[in-house]
Formats: sequence, structure tokens, C-alpha cells
Amino acid sequence: MKKILLSSTLCAALVYGAEVLPVEKRTFDQSKFIPDISLILDASYVDRSVKDDEAGHLELPGVAHGLLGSHSHGDSNHATYNANNGFNLNYAELVLSSSVDPFFTMDGVFHFSENGVEIEELFFTSNALGYGTRIKGGKFNSNFGYLNEQHHHTWDFADMPLVYEAFLGMHGINENGAQIQWTAPTPFYLMAGFEVLQGENEQMFGNETIGDVENPIAEGKDGPTLYVGYVKASYDIGNTTLLGGLSYAQGESRINHSADEENPHAFSGDAKLYGADFVVLHALDSYKSLKLQTEYLARELDGTQYALDSDANVIGSPAILKKQDGLYSQLIYTHDKNWRMGVRYDTILRNDIKTNGATVEQPSNLDKYTAMIEYHTSEFARFRVQYSRDNSMFNENGQREKIDTIIFQANISIGAHAAHSF
Amino acid sequence: MRQIGVDLKKLLTLLILLPLTLLAHLNIAVSYPYIGALTKTVGGEHITTTVLAKGNWDPHFIIPRPSLIAKVRNADALIMNGAQLEIGWLPPLINRAGNPKTSPNTPTFLNLSHHIELINKPSEVDRKDGDIHPDGNPHFHLNPENILILANVIKEFLISIDTPDRAIYEKNYADFSKIWKEKMVLWSQKMSDKKGLKVIQFHDNLAYFNKAYGLSNIGTIEPLPGIPPSSRHTIKTIELIQKEQPCCILHDVYHSTKTADFISQKTGIKVVLMPHDIESLENIDNLASLFDYLTSAIK
Repeated sequence: MKKILLSSTLCAALVYGAEVLPVEKRTFDQSKFIPDISLILDASYVDRSVKDDEAGHLELPGVAHGLLGSHSHGDSNHATYNANNGFNLNYAELVLSSSVDPFFTMDGVFHFSENGVEIEELFFTSNALGYGTRIKGGKFNSNFGYLNEQHHHTWDFADMPLVYEAFLGMHGINENGAQIQWTAPTPFYLMAGFEVLQGENEQMFGNETIGDVENPIAEGKDGPTLYVGYVKASYDIGNTTLLGGLSYAQGESRINHSADEENPHAFSGDAKLYGADFVVLHALDSYKSLKLQTEYLARELDGTQYALDSDANVIGSPAILKKQDGLYSQLIYTHDKNWRMGVRYDTILRNDIKTNGATVEQPSNLDKYTAMIEYHTSEFARFRVQYSRDNSMFNENGQREKIDTIIFQANISIGAHAAHSF
Repeated sequence: MRQIGVDLKKLLTLLILLPLTLLAHLNIAVSYPYIGALTKTVGGEHITTTVLAKGNWDPHFIIPRPSLIAKVRNADALIMNGAQLEIGWLPPLINRAGNPKTSPNTPTFLNLSHHIELINKPSEVDRKDGDIHPDGNPHFHLNPENILILANVIKEFLISIDTPDRAIYEKNYADFSKIWKEKMVLWSQKMSDKKGLKVIQFHDNLAYFNKAYGLSNIGTIEPLPGIPPSSRHTIKTIELIQKEQPCCILHDVYHSTKTADFISQKTGIKVVLMPHDIESLENIDNLASLFDYLTSAIK
């Protein structure tokens, strides 16, 4: 009895003690240093005209496969956004940011999903150098092109433009490295940037050794092996803003599909990526606007394609040269703080593949049409319905599969107020 | 030996002062037109101002155009309103500009809200109450008394970054202060019979204006800050108007007056457009004309 009495008084004292003492008076309290925190949920309900099992095996011939559904790579399971018919929890994005000291700020972006935690971005930035320069180090989204730097939840559609996803995968150029950007002292906006990156993009860039270390199929290169440069300029004409950019990325390329169950293969060589982007935003008033956004990407992959058998022995190693390009163009109308709607056109324009100098025929008319409408209950909650018709996917028998997809997407955020970049 | 020491001291002083003399013609970026006008008044010909936001648009939602990055990049100092009014658009501009002079907490950065006693500070901060400003209502420049306080703050700020021209800033401030005080008497006379009037607003933009002249805001057309009007709330507002008999709906210039016009039709009370900043309506091209307009708008 005594014990109970004593412990309950103790508990009461603890509870009241904690409540009574104001934050300012707690001797070693550090709660004022908590960084800005926000948590963003992205969930969807998907109705796709092909079955999940089938979707994971579809490919964009000569360009990429595994753009839809989920796949197993050895031990790890990898899922794209909106992978399954029915409900998907794409991720919970945790964002932390704060000043470090007078010289740096730090930002961390973490994706929690059913497949684990991914460090999307974790970088420090400094403005302290002056003269319009900004440096960044860590893991971050490259500022190549227009869309690449933006996070999934700020995109205007639930999925990535076809050409981006096909060339670079669903994370785009997201790398460990360093960046320097310089804004020119001009009356209009002019910015140039350069990035040195490790170069570990699954779809296009890489430097790993493929196969045995003793007797490799393709020998690796020590990083960094990817270099990105870009120039962007912007000009306002009344309430219309024009923004244009040219980007270039060059690096080693290793594409490792040696563990695939069917047709295991690997590629080793050099990769170049060219980008041109153009954005026009016309503001009709504080809330109403029209935005046209177009990006063109062209890539060149030059190297050796290794065909492998099921024991990862090389059964063929032709020289291969891929010259591919494509674009997307989208128009978004923002009606007010509640309603937005938009359409997007995606296409792969060029798909030239030469094996040992001989042209390999590839199907044409690889395109996709998408429309969406959004309702925002506030700045912090967005609900979207998106329909797309995708004519770019082929099944394992080389037959085109037209895919109709409806995605209901919910995007909800709590915590610190996000400020939007242009 | 001693002589050399003195010379060295002189040289050092010169070296320290040199960058300051180079600053003689200061380019000051400001977030809103009213800050630009005030800074120009106090700074006179010694400064140029670059205004980032347009006066006729919602100050909460400014498109962070890349051209604004260039403006921040080229500035020698930055003056902002603060109290989270710029939270949705200014931080990325400062981040991208790569200009240490416009970084928060540097001597060339001024947050005006730190020098004003804010009203309507919510006791509880929760987004279920809408997109509230946790530090209090940020539209403090619409009380003419605060304009005087802000002019003084800007004067001190300019002196701190450009001490050699202290006398000029002191004089400009004194001139402005004298004229402004005379105007304030006129505006008070004009508004004297409006004391106690009840008003409806779209968003509580005029909290400080209302407080200055004794108007009382009894409701807003938006159900909660930042949440667009709903039909249920509109019906409630109509009932409130019928019960409380406010004089009018004081409406900002950037939201659509659709709901206000509907309420006006149902209740018979007037919709009065109230500019919130310079350039928000035609002919409002300085601070005095802004208050001239505001104090004669309610008939």
C-alpha cells in the first residue's frame, strides 16, 4: 500500500513537474533547436487494364523495362510508384531542414515505404560564398533539366514523364556528389551549374564491376564517373514568365541485368544525355494561371552489350550504339486554390539501335496521353484523378499492349509549410 | 616605430571603411510595395529599391518567378514584412540567390515584424483552424501609427548599414514623420464617426486598420484563414449579418467578390473594395494615397 502511494505521488510529481516548468527554464532544454519537420503521405488507388503480374514484364523496346509494377532483384524487392492494381502506399516522405551554423543549412528527405527507408536527399548547402554562388554536397536530385530536381509529390501528374522514366528511372538523376551553381549579376535570371556525381543510375549511368571481380564481364571504374552541366535563363513579359534551360550529362554506363530470370544481359560503355527545357507560365490573377512545360531529352549509349546464359557466362558481346530521344509537353490550368487540371503528351521520337554497325528494327509510335484533375481542400491536402493511355509498352512476345490506367492519388502533408520553387 | 603603428591603424580603419563607402548607392530589395515606398522615402537618393511582389496580388501567394532570384542576388540588403506572410514564396528565392547579404539574421537583413507588437496571436496553433499565422496577424502596416514605427526602424537599419549618410536618413525621416503625423490627424477626423461600426471581411486583412479606427470585424467570408468560402459558411454569414447589422463588407482586391456580391444581394449591405497596398488599385501610388483611400472608402 505504502509503495503504491509513494509511486503514485512520484508519478504525480513527475507529471505536474513537467507541466509546471516552462520550456525557457529547463536547464539543458534544446527543444528550440528542433529543425523544420514535415511529413508527406502519398497513396493511390490504381485501376490498370493489365494484370500486376503482366505489368512488371512489359518493356519499352530497346529503351527500358520494369517501368511498371514491382520486381525482385535478387534479395531486394523494388516497386515503382502506383505499382499495383488497387491500393498503394507509395511513401511517407519525412523532410527535416534547418540552419547548421552561419555558413550552412542542411536538408534531409527520407522515403519510408513498405520496402524500407530510402535516403532521397541528404545535403548541406552554403550561400556564404557570395557572388551569386551556391554550393551543395551530399545526396541530392541533380538540377539537370526542369523536372529532375522536383520531388514526386510536386509533379503535376502521378507518374513521371515517359522519356524521363525510360531514360533515367523513377528517381531521375539522384546521386551522391557535389554541386556548384552561379547566378549571374544580370537584371534577368541567368544561372549556370556544374555537378560531379558518383554515377550510379540504374537505368543509364553506372561504374560497378559486372560479374566476378577476378574475371569480370565488364570492369568497373572508381567514382565519381558522372558530370552534369546546365545553363538556365528566365525572362518576364508582363504577367508571363519564360524559363528555358540546356543541360548535358556525361558518364560511365553499366546496366546490370545479369540476375534477370529471362534473357540476362549487361551493358558497359559511355553514356551522354542532352536536355532542353522550356516553361511558360501566364498568371491571370493571384490564383489562376496557365503553365506550359516541355522537355526534350536525347541520349547516346555507346559500348558493349553482353548476352548471358543462366549461369552468367557471356554468350555474345556485340558492340552496341543507341541513339534515342523523346519529349513530353504538358499544359496545366490552375483555376483557383481548389481546382487544377491538365493534359500531357509523351513520346519517344527516335529509337535507333545499331548492333555491330547493323541497324536493329524498333517499333515506332511510342507515345502516351494523360489527363488529370485535382481538388485541394487546402494547401496541405490534394486529391487527384488521372487517366492515361500508354501506347509504348510491349509484352515479352514483342506485341504492343495498350494500357489504360486510372489513378486516384491522395497527397497529404503535415508540419512545416513548404515553400514552392518555380 | 610608434608612427608606423598609427599609420597602420589609419590604414586598417580605411580598409574597414572602404567597403562601406562602396555601398554608397545601396540597392535594397523589399518584399512588398509599401516597404519599397517607405524605404525610398527614408533613403531618398542614396538608395534604390527593388520591389519583389506586385501590389495588386495576394501577398500570401506570390509566384516565385526566377526573375525574383536575380533581384535578390543583386541586392545589398533585404527588408521583409515577416510574421510568416512571405513563408510560401521568399525562402526559396533567398536560398537560390547565393547572396549572403540577404540571408536572415545578417546585419543587412531586416524583418519588420520583429519591431511591431502583433495582434490576434493565436493561443493555440493547429491547422484545423486553417492556414493561420502563429506569430499573429501580419498585415500590420494598415495602421498608420505602425507606418511611423516602421519608418523609424527602416531609418535605423539604413544608418546601421550606411553610417556616413546618417544625417540624410535622419532628415528624411523627420520630414516624413512631420507630414505623416499631420495626415494622421486628418484621417482620424475623417474616421471619427465610424467608431464602433461593425464590418465583415473576406480575410482579416484590416485587423490593424480596424483597431486604429475602432471598427469591429464580426466575421469573414472565408470560413477559416486560407480556406475558400463554402455554401454552409456563406449561409451562416448571411444570418450573422441579418442579426448584427454590420455596415458593409470590406473586401480585398485580389479575391473574387462573387461570394461577397451574393451576400450583398441577400442582405442589402454594400461591398467596399479596400486596397491593402500601393498599386493594388489605380491611383494608389504612395502610402498617403493608400490611407486617403481607405479612410474615405466607407461612406
